Amino acid sequence: MIFTELVQAIWVSLKTSGAAAVIASLLAIPLALLLSANEFTGKRFLLLLNQTWMAAPTVVIGLLLYFILSRNGPLGSFGLLYTQTAMTIGQTILILPLVIGFAYTAISQVDARARITALSLGATPAQAWWVVMREAAFPLLVAILAGFARAISEVGIAMMLGGNIRGYTRNITTAIALESSKGEFMNGVILGLILLSLTLGINLLVNSGVKNRQ
Amino acid sequence: MNSARAYKLEQLRFQYPGSGFVLHADDLEIESGKIIALVGPNGSGKTTMLMLMGLLLKPSAGTMEFLGQNPWADGRLLDMRRKLALVTHYPYLFRGTIYDNLVFGLKVRGMDRAGFGALVRETLSMVELEDFAQTPVSALSAGQVQRVALARAMILKPKVLLLDEPTANIDAGMSQRMEAVITELNSRYQTTIIFSTHNFSQAFRLADKVLHFSDGKQVNYSHENFFSGKAETDGKLSWIEPKPGARIVFSGEYNSHITCIISPEKIKVFSENEAQRMSGPNLFSGTVIRLELVENNQALVRVSGELNFRLKLSIQEIEQKKIAISRKILLRFPPEAVEVL
Repeated sequence: MIFTELVQAIWVSLKTSGAAAVIASLLAIPLALLLSANEFTGKRFLLLLNQTWMAAPTVVIGLLLYFILSRNGPLGSFGLLYTQTAMTIGQTILILPLVIGFAYTAISQVDARARITALSLGATPAQAWWVVMREAAFPLLVAILAGFARAISEVGIAMMLGGNIRGYTRNITTAIALESSKGEFMNGVILGLILLSLTLGINLLVNSGVKNRQ
Repeated sequence: MNSARAYKLEQLRFQYPGSGFVLHADDLEIESGKIIALVGPNGSGKTTMLMLMGLLLKPSAGTMEFLGQNPWADGRLLDMRRKLALVTHYPYLFRGTIYDNLVFGLKVRGMDRAGFGALVRETLSMVELEDFAQTPVSALSAGQVQRVALARAMILKPKVLLLDEPTANIDAGMSQRMEAVITELNSRYQTTIIFSTHNFSQAFRLADKVLHFSDGKQVNYSHENFFSGKAETDGKLSWIEPKPGARIVFSGEYNSHITCIISPEKIKVFSENEAQRMSGPNLFSGTVIRLELVENNQALVRVSGELNFRLKLSIQEIEQKKIAISRKILLRFPPEAVEVL
């Protein structure tokens, strides 16, 4: 694999998985907040469903979306199959339950006194919930990073929905799969190490930013 | 709007969902500008009452007026809540510094940030933390947390300040200084202060009025015999000496400051002849100073002596024992008759 191809693959990984993490977080965190704030019939069942969906195999999600996005599928007219957008959609669906679950735990574990204290000092309900979110900032960040890590390391969805097109939808994981299928195992290992280093680097950056703020 | 009255509660009831405990407040009025103490054992409803007064809980039944208005009427709650501040028993400080915590209430009210620095300095000096504004809250001791929480409420200059055991986590010396801050707030700004405490002497020292709570109800101890003091114990029985030489003995092991009550019905009267053959604890002499007929053919007898007591006797017993005003009598009650609050 030549250097430009490697850089392109890294960029595709960061772009599609980064976008998936952002979109999933924007959906998951408000949902997690709603779940934390309300008691209702069926809540436990919903949480159970969410936990179950976390374990969904990536190829299953990839396959389902393949049928939906393919030319004969209900959304075929959008021409999304074998695009980076399709990869992002698939990875968002993959990591959404993970981020919901972690975010729900993070918010639920904030001391109940935080919200009551905010209200007692004259905060509106929205301001009080913002305080809760701020108190849960670090665990929420961990939830988002966990989602990103899951997205960037999956291969099933990227392969089925992206098609592994060189310079376009080939990311690190599909590149590893390709190199392995060619018998170039050393290349595969090197790509894997690069992926791990990337994730480690992002984690270190975020953690040091949080530490400085604290 | 009658703002001469901070609170008026009528037939108020509150029950936590799924709990058997119900808080009652049948007819309670609190005047503005006063200091009120809520006393009672753990679980008696003091904290729940403070949460209701803090408009953080809504009554299940009955009515509550705050500063002459119904705070639960449409659109009024936030405005009413911003006229008071509540400091909880184990206060929660937000992540960040002391400064971040103190300005929280000011920020949510949209106040001009230009004045924050001076307000923070002034308020922190009242709680003797003037050099600590930039200290992270994670570095504070329990006592400092309590003081920061108090400062966080005081900086808002609320009309009503609600404090749940404000000196519980503070040493005695600092506790006295905080009591001075509380009374200063009341006298300087006419802030209505309502605080809960287990310390009866603190309650009587600071408050214009003391409200007793027991098992969710406000109780009237005015007819009870009410004593307090530092208890000592031999392991089986304990005693206090409300006055030197006048010892009240009761069951149980207590060695801290306690308050106890003795119901008038549980005190027995003896003649001098009978008393000469008696020994044991809780034997007191005194002079009858008042006789008052009450219901069910009984009379309330007030006795003044080593300690002052109220007794409830039947008319028949009063006649048999020739109890009359100015008569010297001896009275006694068993240790089991003493109820520690």
